[in-house]
Amino acid sequence: MNLSGILVIATPEWVETVVTELNAMEGIEVHQTDPVTGRIIVVQEATDIHAEIEGVKRIKAMPHVVMADMVYHYFADDARAYDAMPAELTEDTQVCVPAYLNT
Amino acid sequence: MGITRREFMKNSVAASVAASAAAVVGLPLSTDAEAAIAQSEAGWQWDKGACRFCGTGCGIMIATKDGRIVATKGDPKAPVNKGLNCVKGYFNGKIMYGQDRLTTPLLRMTDGKFDKKGKFVPVSWDKAMEIMVEKFMAAYKEKGPHGVGLFGSGQWTVPEGYVAAKLWKVGFRSNNIDPNARHCMASAVAAFMQTFGIDEPAGNYDDIEHTDTAILWGANMAEMHPILWSRITDRRLTHKEMKVVNLSTYSNMSSDIADLEIIFKPSGDLSIQNYIAREIVKRGAVDHEFVKKNGQFATGPYDIGYGFRPKNADKFHSPAEMEVVKNEQVRVLDKWEAIGQRRKEGDVVQQANAATAGKDWAISFEDFAKALEPYDLDYCVATAKGDPDESDEAFKKKLVELADYYCDPKRKVVSYWTMGFNQHQRGTWVNEQCYTNHLLTGKQSKPGNGAFSLTGQPSACGTAREVGTFSHRLPADMVVMNPKHRALSEKLWKLPAKTLNPQMGSHYVKIMRDLEDGTCKWAMVQVNNPWQNTANLNHWIKAAREMDNFIVCCDGYPTVSAKVADLVLPAAMIFEKWGFYGNAERRTQCWRQQVKPVGESMGDMWILLEMAKRIKIKDCWGEQKIAGLKAPGFEDGKLPSVIDEAVKMGYNPEASLYDALFATPAHKKAYPWPDKVAKGHGNHIAEDLGWFAEKAMFEEYRAFGTDHGHDLAPFDVYYDDAVRGLKWPVVLKDGKWVETGWRFNEEYDPYVKKGQGIYFYGNDGNALVMGDLDKPGDGSVKVKLDGKAKIYFRPYATPVEEPDTHFNLWLCTGRVLEHWHSGSMTRRVPELHRAVPNAVCWIHPKDADARGLKRNDLVWVESRRGKVKVRIETGGRNRVPRGLVYVPWFDESVLINKVCLDSTCPISKETDFKKCSVKVYKA
Ligand code: SF4
Repeated sequence: MNLSGILVIATPEWVETVVTELNAMEGIEVHQTDPVTGRIIVVQEATDIHAEIEGVKRIKAMPHVVMADMVYHYFADDARAYDAMPAELTEDTQVCVPAYLNT
Repeated sequence: MGITRREFMKNSVAASVAASAAAVVGLPLSTDAEAAIAQSEAGWQWDKGACRFCGTGCGIMIATKDGRIVATKGDPKAPVNKGLNCVKGYFNGKIMYGQDRLTTPLLRMTDGKFDKKGKFVPVSWDKAMEIMVEKFMAAYKEKGPHGVGLFGSGQWTVPEGYVAAKLWKVGFRSNNIDPNARHCMASAVAAFMQTFGIDEPAGNYDDIEHTDTAILWGANMAEMHPILWSRITDRRLTHKEMKVVNLSTYSNMSSDIADLEIIFKPSGDLSIQNYIAREIVKRGAVDHEFVKKNGQFATGPYDIGYGFRPKNADKFHSPAEMEVVKNEQVRVLDKWEAIGQRRKEGDVVQQANAATAGKDWAISFEDFAKALEPYDLDYCVATAKGDPDESDEAFKKKLVELADYYCDPKRKVVSYWTMGFNQHQRGTWVNEQCYTNHLLTGKQSKPGNGAFSLTGQPSACGTAREVGTFSHRLPADMVVMNPKHRALSEKLWKLPAKTLNPQMGSHYVKIMRDLEDGTCKWAMVQVNNPWQNTANLNHWIKAAREMDNFIVCCDGYPTVSAKVADLVLPAAMIFEKWGFYGNAERRTQCWRQQVKPVGESMGDMWILLEMAKRIKIKDCWGEQKIAGLKAPGFEDGKLPSVIDEAVKMGYNPEASLYDALFATPAHKKAYPWPDKVAKGHGNHIAEDLGWFAEKAMFEEYRAFGTDHGHDLAPFDVYYDDAVRGLKWPVVLKDGKWVETGWRFNEEYDPYVKKGQGIYFYGNDGNALVMGDLDKPGDGSVKVKLDGKAKIYFRPYATPVEEPDTHFNLWLCTGRVLEHWHSGSMTRRVPELHRAVPNAVCWIHPKDADARGLKRNDLVWVESRRGKVKVRIETGGRNRVPRGLVYVPWFDESVLINKVCLDSTCPISKETDFKKCSVKVYKA
């Protein structure tokens, strides 16, 4: 279970549209809305922790959304966390100067 | 009933967000939600902290359970961020748990012995310290106090920086200590000191909610200061008058909500600012009353070089590099530089003031106005229009609108900048020009009005600047070159006279050059990554690996700097230790140790103190030769022995620097461990040393600023549950510690007397010689600066390296939202790594086309200094104009600093990472 709390600010005239669209998105629940200031509180649930960040990006890209920022993150254990570490970070540091520094 | 844990958690998360949003707009919390929080967080211990990353300095709350961090959230009570965090801030709790975290000291060895060409082998702390100190003493004995160096950091905590500065400047009598903040804030510091006589911004973040105009000069706040940006966004949405202007060399995310976007050519900011000043004068928008009372017009020399090696450069640079570096001696003026400097095109100018770049003198208002005369709209088109596809007329129209904002007496204006101004061959000048425009119009040191220099690092202000961990500084804005400052420091530190070294040490880039030319043979790295962050890297990699130097790198992860070091020490990270950071609005904030350090890692402060245990007073306080030492009272070019004097004062020459300077009986008695301020939290350093070193050092340091305009509250006050950092000067008023919102303003600043209104007290007691635009006068006329700021004229200067037919593109470097600096922490958080896995080279689609390239192609970016392989991006968040490419520097597989030019502002010695010339071709 991976939960994140996101504060979304929409242009006030478009709050309702944005809320409808948010509610239609998978894993997203709108918890509170303030139509005057366009603030919307969203909780996102993702089965995969890697989807969380994508989710926020997705909200940011929505029309009439001025900003969307994560405010809260519930840490879930994730065994797959490091399956794609960049090569240079895992490269053998035993040589005097790693090959990629030498080019 | 029947509600699942999942639903409880969700309610709880939503409530936390509401709590933060509530601070902004007042969304009410339901009682259900309150109950949900209590249930789901049972057994969690929440404590306040500061974000590890950018200079915004957001407050965060950290929850621990059973010795682990289980959650983090934006702190709703923090005035900076009111509960919000950006994507980086949100992962504060995860940066300590990368898979390849260093857990033991590692030494390069062959057959059980240190060998520079050997492989890293885990060793004990004892063994690590033994070889480190042996190598240190060898370099120290051979080369003297300036034969050793320390690369410090704007991410050091305040007590860490203080221990480092004291160990180096007092213990070793060496000024060769310089933080990475040299790369980011030095130009801002130099301009503050020259203009106001005291460092750091007058205003604070609340300016955002007071202003009508936010003007960004080379600060992509949307990505680099996201939370401040959300405050600006909010102001823009809720305040009808609010205008946002984004000046940049390429179009970025900050342009998205900007009312006006101005794309300028590298160094064109110098022209645009002079154009604005000229308009202010021409349109009669000068606030004469303000200027007369609070300002003094001034200027300085133009022939100041470009911050390269002052001599023998050809011994170290290739012929191709010398094509640029030779300008350090002689510069041939181009047409526009000549016009802007009242000279003739083709004039050959000896750079006679390269070593005295900071000298200045007073001028008259008439001279000031005369100097601005060439800077009209046509001049700006020629020197500053950055997008070749924009029409001259469109560009001019924008500049007029920009000038309107500054000139309108009713409009409040805040100018913000970061690296665009600071990392600039004329960084000090361009900072000063910005003050000029605010001072001319009287828009300074008032709520909603002011020139505001933002910082990149979380404690560039708190540690690098205020503690004074630069090669020329002492705490509280004092400098080693000033005999009065040394005397005062020697008194506070209880030292024999002449213990402190009056010779400025090597700045950051110079320590690298010293390692290359053999002047310095031992260097330590703390909380930063010099072999990734310094321009012209190929030289420094060679200096580390092929010269007879010993490099010690303290870090939590195997960074590039660790990989080229001889000894790697595992450093405890952020919430594994106690600390203080100081953000860009002078706010000092603190945190407690939350979790035990991973493996055998130890805090940087412990490493320094452990080193101090192994070196004695007599090893350092005898006579010392200092190359180039020239100072009154030190005529023989040596630091005298102060041992006899020290003995008289009660020092024991056989005592270790640790016992003599840090773990004094007084400190051990006054600051025992445990301390009730800990509230049950551990402290791995205090537990090892047996006394509360962080607190002792903070209190000792505090004495420097008290009554000198830099007052801090006592240690315990910051740890009070109700306090979320305090903006210095913090003074005691009616039994309460009160912070200062706007400095130099009678209404807010305790240092301004009643009736003084706006008063720039930093320059009290200073004076300038009166001169004309070209030279200082004979010294017969002096003007006093009491209460005044200097209003500088600074000319346009063409960048020292410009695109030509061969290297035909500008290269600009910088950061991205998701990663912090060299990526050593953020790239190890999978979520952030995935978000932006690698650096890309942003290039205009037509420039790509012209080179036969398409999006995602692998290319070489090559300069006179080196090349890197990287994929190109023609879309995305940055839109570069034709003729310019942008490459972020966080990615160690794309070491773009191999390509960058190590030219610095000659006054501030800060590197210009924003402009050099490159070619791009298919790899
Ligand atoms: S990185 Fe900067 S803006 Fe983001 S949470 Fe941390 S301090 Fe705030």
